[in-house]
Amino acid sequence: MAEPIPPDRFTVLVERAGLKLTPEEFEELREGSRFVERMKESVRRSGPREARLRGVTRPREKTAEPAHIFIAGKD
Amino acid sequence: MDPSRLTIAQASAAIAQGSLAPLSLVDSYLERIASLDGELHSYVLVLAEEARERARALAAEPSRGPLHGIPLSLKDIYWTRGRRTTAGSRLCLDFVPAEDAETWRRLEAAGAILLGKNETHEFAIGGPDFTLPFPPARNPWNTAHYPAGSSSGSAVAVAAGLTAGALGSDTGGSIRGPAAFNGIAGLKPTYGRVSRRGVFPLSYTLDHCGPLTRTVEDCALLLQAIAGHDPLDPASADRPVPDYRKALERRLDGMAIGVIRHFHEADAVAGFGPENAPNPAYCAAFEEACRTLEKAGARLVDLRLSPLLDYADANRLIMLAEAFALHETDFQERPQGFGRYAFARIGLGAFFSAADYVEALRARRELCREFREATEGVDAVVSANATAPAPKIDTVPLWGVFERASYTAPYNLLGAPALSLPIGFEDGLPLAFQIAGKPFAESSVFKVGYAFEQATPFHRERPPIAASLPGRT
Repeated sequence: MAEPIPPDRFTVLVERAGLKLTPEEFEELREGSRFVERMKESVRRSGPREARLRGVTRPREKTAEPAHIFIAGKD
Repeated sequence: MDPSRLTIAQASAAIAQGSLAPLSLVDSYLERIASLDGELHSYVLVLAEEARERARALAAEPSRGPLHGIPLSLKDIYWTRGRRTTAGSRLCLDFVPAEDAETWRRLEAAGAILLGKNETHEFAIGGPDFTLPFPPARNPWNTAHYPAGSSSGSAVAVAAGLTAGALGSDTGGSIRGPAAFNGIAGLKPTYGRVSRRGVFPLSYTLDHCGPLTRTVEDCALLLQAIAGHDPLDPASADRPVPDYRKALERRLDGMAIGVIRHFHEADAVAGFGPENAPNPAYCAAFEEACRTLEKAGARLVDLRLSPLLDYADANRLIMLAEAFALHETDFQERPQGFGRYAFARIGLGAFFSAADYVEALRARRELCREFREATEGVDAVVSANATAPAPKIDTVPLWGVFERASYTAPYNLLGAPALSLPIGFEDGLPLAFQIAGKPFAESSVFKVGYAFEQATPFHRERPPIAASLPGRT
């Protein structure tokens, strides 16, 4: 399981997001940031299931498109 | 006769035959709400007089179809014209929409009667939060237990017989989780099948609107009324809507059903930790459910997909990033308006980068392709829902939504239809599985669900609190 983001790095992220947090809110969100770190790792995994389970992943092809692509003229 | 015990299909037939007046049906639910909802907290607004007035008016009209005179309720994130819609938040206590949600407009046109608005987790994510203006709904099977969320009030009202059916919303499992813990049917349709217009968003690309009912047939009836193209919802699909009730058959001969076992047998522990090991009673109930499908004529095929964590985390990342984007101004300007759970959970969305979000969308496309290829030879898929019964409501942790293995999130990511149905009980609390399908294959999902339901007794079980009130039998 990923660790929470260290306080000094988390302070930068909070400021970048424009949030003004109480010390309690800061610690609560920082505690939850371990899930942010886990999700960031998960979505970068690619390749066959068995390899992923062993932690062996391959980089996604640069041409791999995201799920939502703008369709001109639709809106 | 206690009209509140009838399914929608049964009540519809009785109204059509003239043996049941819409007003009697409305009154039976209003009596139960008055008697039981002080304990269950499934409603935040009851429209008693409006519902009675509409029931009288409908009684004088020719039938509009199978929902003519049927009382329903809505999760309180569905806009209702001239009636407060709070999304369960102090930030919206004074919000009175000028328009109805498109889904309610369609139901009302079909003759449905609005009984009231159901309790919801704040902005469909922050609960169970005891600091919100409305107390969290309670599980009717045991009120010390959690009914799941975020469509908690809708599911509780259906299970306890406080409405004939309800609409909820589902971004990572918010229809199917409550359906599971309350022992009822809950459908997340295909993305684009049902309009989201006029429903408070949580995540634009993952939100789905859908029905919660006591039976599969009732689910089909509600979907029939709300499905179809809405040109004002940019995600709405312009595709024909089949007759869902026609798909309901007792036999599954000739059908191939994919079974995804590794989500609960291996991936839950590997991805989320040992506390996510499925209960033995759950595993036994799941296998028995699979055998039931086989006995009904289906051929079962093992399916293997990417690990559950990869599906769930892509779902969560996209959801949180989109949720924070839409609430960003309130987070910066009036953060004190949020309850603790919504603030903390949505707040995590502030800490993703643009690259994280795009990677999640790229993962989504890969996983959609994987699912499409894996399901080429099957007509439907079954997989686990929550693998233990509902926990006590005061033990649900703030971060449980990310700590717990989510068996429902994959189908939001895939945009595929998924139906939760009860498959048994443990300690007097319901257990459930999911029947999913290819996008826009709701008919196949209903077909499998109906056959399963006809072969099992679980949908007929009602929580003790749902017994008829004194004087009603």
